[in-house]
Amino acid sequence: MRAIPATLLLTVLAVGVLFPFYLVLSTSLKDDQQVADNPLAPPKHWMWSNFSQAWVDGHFNQYFVNSVLVVVPTVLLVLALSMFAAYAFAVRRFRGSTALFALLMVGLTVPLDILIIPLYYEMLDFHILNTLWALILPQVAMSLPFGILLLRAFIQDLPRALLEAARIDGCSEWRLLIHIVIPLCRPPLLSLLVFVFMWTWNQFLLPLVLTQSDSARTIPIGLSVFQGRYVTELPLLMAGVTIAFVPVVVVYVFFQRHIINGITAGALK
Amino acid sequence: MASLATRSLSKVPDRREAGRPGRARAFREGASPYLYVLPAMLLYGTFVCYPMLRLVQYSFTKWDGTSTPNNIGLSNYNELIRDPLFWQAFRHNLEWMFAAIAIPTLIGLALAIVLARSHLFGRTIFRAVFFLPQILSSIVIAAIWQWLYSPSFGAINAALKAAGLSSLQQGWLGDTNFALPAVFIAWAWTAYGFAMVILIAAIQSVDEEYFDAAKIDGAGRLRQMTAILLPAIRRPLTVVMLMNAIAALQAFDLVFIMTKGGPINSTMVLALYVYQNAFISLRVGYGSAIAVVLGIVIVISSLVFLRIRGLWGGKE
Repeated sequence: MRAIPATLLLTVLAVGVLFPFYLVLSTSLKDDQQVADNPLAPPKHWMWSNFSQAWVDGHFNQYFVNSVLVVVPTVLLVLALSMFAAYAFAVRRFRGSTALFALLMVGLTVPLDILIIPLYYEMLDFHILNTLWALILPQVAMSLPFGILLLRAFIQDLPRALLEAARIDGCSEWRLLIHIVIPLCRPPLLSLLVFVFMWTWNQFLLPLVLTQSDSARTIPIGLSVFQGRYVTELPLLMAGVTIAFVPVVVVYVFFQRHIINGITAGALK
Repeated sequence: MASLATRSLSKVPDRREAGRPGRARAFREGASPYLYVLPAMLLYGTFVCYPMLRLVQYSFTKWDGTSTPNNIGLSNYNELIRDPLFWQAFRHNLEWMFAAIAIPTLIGLALAIVLARSHLFGRTIFRAVFFLPQILSSIVIAAIWQWLYSPSFGAINAALKAAGLSSLQQGWLGDTNFALPAVFIAWAWTAYGFAMVILIAAIQSVDEEYFDAAKIDGAGRLRQMTAILLPAIRRPLTVVMLMNAIAALQAFDLVFIMTKGGPINSTMVLALYVYQNAFISLRVGYGSAIAVVLGIVIVISSLVFLRIRGLWGGKE
């Protein structure tokens, strides 16, 4: 019985959190007149055309393709490179390993806010400014410390007997990694996958500075350009906002457990 | 997601385990461990370490980004100390930081206590809903809140009018008094979810027997919270505060999109001042100097928190 007031309170708060989402979705399906009449009411007739107009006028097809082309290689590179490095750091102490690992951990506190200036001129020197590579390579580099830390901790907690037994059976390090360690690392790899997907998909500052035309712009920058042009046409703008957040929300709904496990795994150790 | 530095607090390299002779022998048969580490270190070195060194180098120059940089020693830092806008931005970061340490943490803690300590129906759904804003990109958050704050067709002013409180209507983001708190609230709307998730897990890992023992001793609900729960979760609590503090020092996206630092610099923060100097005014050297200072402030804040954590005793 005592749970009823708490549940009620939580429900009210949850509705409060979800209300902006409702506003965005309902507005994205209205026309200007309906917004003016009653901004809070649900749409009377649903204007799906807002989405097609936003998609075409806002060049969201181009931004969407670019976002995918940045996210996929970034995620794959972070998973693979973190896995290799984390394995070496976890099972082996080699000359310089402590120093290298400490250097990597510095990267956890270095924000992009301060790296962005030299990164711009580095991309200029490499002649990859305004290309997707300019977005992929720094994103991978900045995600590696977290990936390596997460995976290394997990590998260190694996049962030692398992790895020892495989070694005694004559299993090489490489085969041990591929056939035993990586399959066992599924949970942290999944968490890492979702994290890197979200960081990369939502990344704002990197494409803001390192891209200058639609050919390399990703969704967040595309949306901000779109916002600048359609600031007064609320339904179109909200259709754009919806296009930008739906992919992350879908991923979140499916992988929610992995996100939350990944966050807590690190913080509570 | 501001969860990066969490891990830096969690694991320190463990010498005992890593250096086992059996492992060394096994590795020698295959590729050297350096080959496993090389690709990661190469990218990390090129796109994190090298830029950091270059940044420090830029900060000693006067440079417009295209001509040859002029070495001017510490002049940028001298100028910075006398730059009122730098100090104003710094103060905004600190105000944001204190608010960030307190507000999202308290909201997250309150939600975590309710969600973890009771056996409510659908609490995983509640957890998922409360965490949802955390996953949105800054441009989406900004677009939503800019609209809520909009003076003419915003939901907040509309709601105030409907409640008969028209006198409280504001031009939120256009008002020098309200702009910074308004941007902060949009940020806090996403930040408490992170605190909540960590604290739920922390609370659930506290042994139920302590609470039972306290109940037998006649401790009320409040007493159980202050005497048992808070001490038991103080370490994850510090992690949450540190994460929020660092996020506050890094604030950029929302300010850039929602106010561009205005009106009249009332929302100027350091990261935005860096950006404006480096990429708008093309004072690359001066922007770099501010960036270096910002980096040092972040490192010091992290160390202070680590020290507090250390004072609270070792693990377990």
